[in-house]
Amino acid sequence: MKKNNIIKLILIIVVVALLVVLPLVIKNDSTINLVILVLLYILLASSWNILGGYTGQTNLGHAAFFGVGSLTTRLLWVNGVPFLLSFLAGGVVAVILALIIGAPAFKLRGVYFAIGTLALAQMLNLTVGNILPEMSYNPDLANYQLLPRYYLFLGLTLITILTAAILVKSRIGLGMMAVREGEDAAESLGISALKHKLIALSISAFFAGMAGAAFAYYHVSFYYYMPFGSEWTFDPMMMAYIGGTGTIIGPIIGAVFFVLLKQLLVWNVGEYHLIIFGTLFILIVLFLPGGLVEIWQKFRTFLTKKTKRRKKVLLKATIQNEDGIQRE
Amino acid sequence: MQLLTVEKLCKSFGGLKAINNLDFHVNEGEIVGIIGPNGSGKTTSLNLLTGFLKPNSGRINFRGEEIGGLPRHIVCQKGIARTFQLCKPFMDFTAMQNVMVARAYGRKPSANLHIAEKESIDILEQVGLGSKAGILVKDLRVMERKRLELARALATKPYLLLLDELMAGLNLTEADEACKLINQIRESNITIIMVEHIVKAVTCVSDRIIVFNMGEKIAEGQPEEIVHNPKVIEVYLGKSHA
Repeated sequence: MKKNNIIKLILIIVVVALLVVLPLVIKNDSTINLVILVLLYILLASSWNILGGYTGQTNLGHAAFFGVGSLTTRLLWVNGVPFLLSFLAGGVVAVILALIIGAPAFKLRGVYFAIGTLALAQMLNLTVGNILPEMSYNPDLANYQLLPRYYLFLGLTLITILTAAILVKSRIGLGMMAVREGEDAAESLGISALKHKLIALSISAFFAGMAGAAFAYYHVSFYYYMPFGSEWTFDPMMMAYIGGTGTIIGPIIGAVFFVLLKQLLVWNVGEYHLIIFGTLFILIVLFLPGGLVEIWQKFRTFLTKKTKRRKKVLLKATIQNEDGIQRE
Repeated sequence: MQLLTVEKLCKSFGGLKAINNLDFHVNEGEIVGIIGPNGSGKTTSLNLLTGFLKPNSGRINFRGEEIGGLPRHIVCQKGIARTFQLCKPFMDFTAMQNVMVARAYGRKPSANLHIAEKESIDILEQVGLGSKAGILVKDLRVMERKRLELARALATKPYLLLLDELMAGLNLTEADEACKLINQIRESNITIIMVEHIVKAVTCVSDRIIVFNMGEKIAEGQPEEIVHNPKVIEVYLGKSHA
């Protein structure tokens, strides 16, 4: 293993360990809730990134999968189905929905998938709001504890990131990225673009559905249509772009940055924070298409260039010195 | 032995007959050049062979199997590779990754990416890009990108390689290099169809040349015959020269 990888591994272990012990040390509920929010957003942004960032298909209806996951899990759970079963059902139903919308939408090229998913989320939002307008309450309110919820989110987030990391190093991941880089060329080299898009969509939707399922477990009470709201699509998408799409770390950085900045701005400027986020998003897309990750990469290449140049200067100086000595 | 047989192939776009009753064949181990003026159906025929377009009627037989209208990734897996007139490399990939995609997915793919990577580097060396394996495509020059396009097509392990205007935009020295490369590829038992706009670009390597005009085959034969064929001179230069 290279030195760089060892440092990375140690960093990951430290961060995960910190997150594991965090709620045991800080017993402040609002802090734990904030971390849960960050984890939820990392989950959504990372799962969006599998399709949007690595496969190049803009999904404007991630909320549909998140919402359908939460709806399935909550309904089953409220109606007495064992929790674990209803929890997994959230992800499975999201995948089924993804395949129903994905198979026809991907056959058409271009923006159809983006429009189709956008419409799907909006339609579900309205339909669910009309059919199930009442508030849903936690069936097990007396025994509500924050800690298991926290660990559920943490575990799910780690599994999502790990899955994404393994996926993009695999053959399927290579195919997905080739489809992103150029569908015609990819197909001419033997890749079925449709198959790879559907695989990416299914995995993406599965984790969005699981995030919804965890959401349903976490919230004491919520309206069923709430998780279908468009903010559950656009906030994670913005996070992925801010952090850097098509990277594993990007959505994580983006989510942390987004939530912290939002907290800060909401305290200070209230609803105006939306304008600031909109502007920030446009600026990043225009000037930093690689997201915050790109800054780091540019900084690193700058550093290596600088050290190289310094070495060259030193080398030149020694050669000149030697020349001088010889001349004497 | 005939590797590819095309019979009565037709393709029209609306009222325009882009390919009309086209018959031709390619023997194993041959280099066949397809030439013709702009809009004569050269690239369309190539798109029909590779599944990028579906024929209206007619048959395309490849190694004893009908392949007309098959999805393009299946055509590739059956052993027909192509390059594009305008190179379509994966810009954000390195040269090696570009080839690795083809090696991991083409005919007889290497599912293990480590093996695919090693094989890709061998193929890059074969086309003279061995030293550029780790370089992003963005930073490659035009000729290098054409070489990469070739390397990628070769990495799918094709029986038949279709080159769409590979020579276009190359200067004389570069065209010479390209000819050498093509001859070198032929030695590894790959049959080649070259589509070119410029007659000279194919005469140096082709065993046989087919001339298209208005979607039909108007002449076929050895390079020397073709350049003296009055029909060919007519479509290229006009009646008064023929």
